[in-house]
Amino acid sequence: MRGLEEVHKELDLWGFLNYGHHGVVHTPIGEVNLKTIVMTWIVMILIGIFTVAATRNMRVDRPGKLQLMVEEIFLFLRGLVYENIDYRKGAGLMCLIFSLFIFLLFSNLWGLVPTMMSPTADINTTLGMALTVFILVQVLGLRYKGGKYFKHYVEPVPLFLPLTIVEELSKPITLSFRLYGNIYAGEVLIAVLLGLFGLTVDLLGGFIPSVIWLAFSIFVGFIQAFIFTMLTIAYISQVTAEHH
Amino acid sequence: MDFPGPATPTFFHPDGHKLNRKGVSSHNMEEVIKALGLNSTLVAQIFHFIVLLIFLRVVVYKPVVNVLEKRQQFIHDNVKAAEEERKQAEALRQSYLADMQKAKEEAQAIIQQAVKAGEAQAQQIIEAAKAEAGRIKESALQEIEREKEKAVAELRDQVVTLSILVADKIIGRQITQDLQHGLVQEFIKEAGDLPC
Repeated sequence: MRGLEEVHKELDLWGFLNYGHHGVVHTPIGEVNLKTIVMTWIVMILIGIFTVAATRNMRVDRPGKLQLMVEEIFLFLRGLVYENIDYRKGAGLMCLIFSLFIFLLFSNLWGLVPTMMSPTADINTTLGMALTVFILVQVLGLRYKGGKYFKHYVEPVPLFLPLTIVEELSKPITLSFRLYGNIYAGEVLIAVLLGLFGLTVDLLGGFIPSVIWLAFSIFVGFIQAFIFTMLTIAYISQVTAEHH
Repeated sequence: MDFPGPATPTFFHPDGHKLNRKGVSSHNMEEVIKALGLNSTLVAQIFHFIVLLIFLRVVVYKPVVNVLEKRQQFIHDNVKAAEEERKQAEALRQSYLADMQKAKEEAQAIIQQAVKAGEAQAQQIIEAAKAEAGRIKESALQEIEREKEKAVAELRDQVVTLSILVADKIIGRQITQDLQHGLVQEFIKEAGDLPC
């Protein structure tokens, strides 16, 4: 049995750890995790290929398989949005929700490819996304409710202000850590399972836990992307709902 | 597969927990950020997401929404057309049914008329036949009457002639033809009609 660090070093086929300080490199914007960035680029390119392939030669009467996949995802998300958010407000958010889901889904699943890593297995990515959502929620709240939006911080009594602030801040933190924890733990367990069993054990059936865990990780990837998206919709619906 | 931040292992380090409990001074905040492995990747990732968002908005979102709208329109149109066609078919069916009913009635009327006409014609023929028969009978009777009269007249003439001859022989004297004839005629009149 090998240690986690050892497995990580062995799996570092692309030599990310050789750059900078253990893969953290200095750039004009500050220190960045090289592997996360590169994996994000790859995921973005994959999303680009997938979506462009799906939306090229779109047909109304006889949609192709890829087109149907994209359409089904889109319709599923649109159903969620329209269930929770007013039609006029929700229509403009569809693109964001769709992009969010696609990006998270591809990110979560990309880590299951050997030697690759999920961009979402880095707290920077998930916190970045969660902060984007948080800022968006605040902006939407201001846009649809104006000055009244701040009133909900001091309701029912001003005494609740600290509690409400904590509640608001907990949203992006829980969003980001839930996703990060699930995906990072999944990848750690994949590495642990790889390090745990030697080749001899592997041939005798030691690969079965790995296979089971990979299958479960696919499921987790979908579920976490869905939860993140669903919670985003829920947060937005909270601030855009009109109370009568 | 791995998380390439150097600070990740220290995330679970006991010091990290201690730092979290201590509070929010700027120094401790930096420690927390370091413990979490937060760095400028966060900004880069937000930027990446926005780039992806714009890309998807321009390249993918529009065609998908377009095709969905088109499909909805297509289905809507189809349903409408089907409804229209169904209505037309129903109207056509009604008109056919009406036509059929009308044709049936007309046929019935024609049959009835024909029957009536046939009956009338038969009646007419029978009547005509009867009239013809009557006429033939009448003419036959007239013929008989005429023949009878003719025969009677002939007989009279013969009787007259015979009577003259007989009278000639018996009387033995010659009377004038006119007188003779007048006498005979008178005689016959007196004798009355012979039952012949």
